[in-house]
Amino acid sequence: MTEVAPGPASPVAHLELKVAMLLLLMLLLVGGSVVYVMYARGAFEATQQLVLVADDSEGVKVGMDMTFSGFPIGRVQRIELDPEGNARIIIDVPQRDAHWLRESSVFTLVHGMLGNTNIRAFSGILTDPPLPDGAVRKALVGDATAEIPRLVSAARDLVQNLTALSAPDSPLNASLANLQATTEKLKGPRGALGVLLGNEKDAGKLLAALDHTNTLLARVDGVVAKADSQVFGADGVMSETHAAIVQLNAMLGEARETLKRVDAVLQEAQGTASNVRVATTDLGALRAEVEVSLRKVEHLVDEVNRKWPFARDTELKLP
Amino acid sequence: MLPTSLREGALSELGRLTLSAFAGWWRIIHLGILILALVLSPSIYRRANRSALARHVYQSTMPNLLWFAVLSALLSLVLIRIVVVTALSYGLSQYALQMVVRVLVLELIPLTTALFVALRCTIPDGAEIAAMRSRGQFESPKIQGVDALRHEVLPRVVAGVFAVLTLAAVSCVLTLVLAYLSVYGFTRWGFAGYTHTVGQIFDAATTTIFALKIFFLSLAVSLIPVASVLYDSALARSRTSVELRGLVRMFLVILVVEAASLVGNYY
Repeated sequence: MTEVAPGPASPVAHLELKVAMLLLLMLLLVGGSVVYVMYARGAFEATQQLVLVADDSEGVKVGMDMTFSGFPIGRVQRIELDPEGNARIIIDVPQRDAHWLRESSVFTLVHGMLGNTNIRAFSGILTDPPLPDGAVRKALVGDATAEIPRLVSAARDLVQNLTALSAPDSPLNASLANLQATTEKLKGPRGALGVLLGNEKDAGKLLAALDHTNTLLARVDGVVAKADSQVFGADGVMSETHAAIVQLNAMLGEARETLKRVDAVLQEAQGTASNVRVATTDLGALRAEVEVSLRKVEHLVDEVNRKWPFARDTELKLP
Repeated sequence: MLPTSLREGALSELGRLTLSAFAGWWRIIHLGILILALVLSPSIYRRANRSALARHVYQSTMPNLLWFAVLSALLSLVLIRIVVVTALSYGLSQYALQMVVRVLVLELIPLTTALFVALRCTIPDGAEIAAMRSRGQFESPKIQGVDALRHEVLPRVVAGVFAVLTLAAVSCVLTLVLAYLSVYGFTRWGFAGYTHTVGQIFDAATTTIFALKIFFLSLAVSLIPVASVLYDSALARSRTSVELRGLVRMFLVILVVEAASLVGNYY
């Protein structure tokens, strides 16, 4: 602080050149900063306007971004009221980003939980015609805080239900008590049987029945063993059956021979029968002849009766 | 109850002090207007004045440029790191860059630069002027004052203003670069987002206020220490020296400028 700049006695070499360089440096820095800020503000790029109409412009500020898929593609230029009392939000969209906005794009104005506001654009069909300059669109307003009362109401209902569920006389509590009693029974001497049958007496009966069944099964086991020895043993039913089957086979062979002989007899009988059929045919002819003879005799008798009128007995006796 | 004569004496003393204070402020404003008029007149850039102007500009800026840049870069780096890490821990990293640029570039660097130039250049310049005045160089203003104003006062004031503007420009650019590197690292892919953020911060009003703030701070730290010692006389009943009164005035003006810029930016 007490240091004093050198006086006129200390000359500086190329003073004016150095000062000119300093001046140039300062002008370059200031000028460069101004140009950079103008570039950052979008002063050098062509823009088109988009007008969003919303019922409420609360939270919207001049200079805030409009985002598309999280990328800022526009900036709020100004906000004004239209004759109907709606807020008109005029947004500058650089033309290099304007192709993201289409005729079918939807614009939302979302108020966040922390009071922040976001303007978002959604383009579902990117093949639609591009949004024209100066287009006016309705902004859909979504308010996260508007959900809070509904959320609180739902939470209250939930808490009431939980309170009712956990009350001392609630069905859930009774069920849990029953479950606890059941668990106690399960841990008791009768275990699950006690739970299923409900009382000790029936459980005892079931256990006794089980014991009897076990005894019965042991007996059945002995019986099966004996039956096995009798059926499949050396002198069992199966070996005798086998011998019987052998004998039966021999008898069947004999029977087959007998049948063959019967077959021959039958053939002979068939021949005899054919002879009988011929004889029967001849007998028919004979009978026809007899009938003819009888008719002749009858005719003759009739003739005799006509010629012998005294005879009263007209009965004709066949020979 | 005080006697009437004593009361009248106190009132007249208060009036005299008030008038004296107003007169002091008026003299500072008058000197500022005078220097502004001289700066705009071509005659000041004749050879004799130009060399004195160049020497003061060089001596005020050049010796301080490098190490002030290094110092402000270190300070900025520390603050940027603190802000970024804190914002990250609260999940507010998207606001870290805005906060860094607002706090450092808009608020801290102009103030620091002005105070630095005041301590390193303009207050010693004021002491020099006071010494010259005590040697009687400003005694007959009609004969020597204009020349003294041109040769001694104006170069020091212009040099102070230039030093503040240059150091502030260097520090601000350096801080912007450091903020980018701290947040994004050595990659060019963050440039678009960074530029967008800077564009959001520096809207028309903020940029105007920022420029006016630096200009008025530079004017305050350059003009007031010199003007105070040039015109103020050591009051017989004042316990403070002329230099100290100049310092108080300077800090008061800095405070007013800072408050006005805050009001303009955030209200």
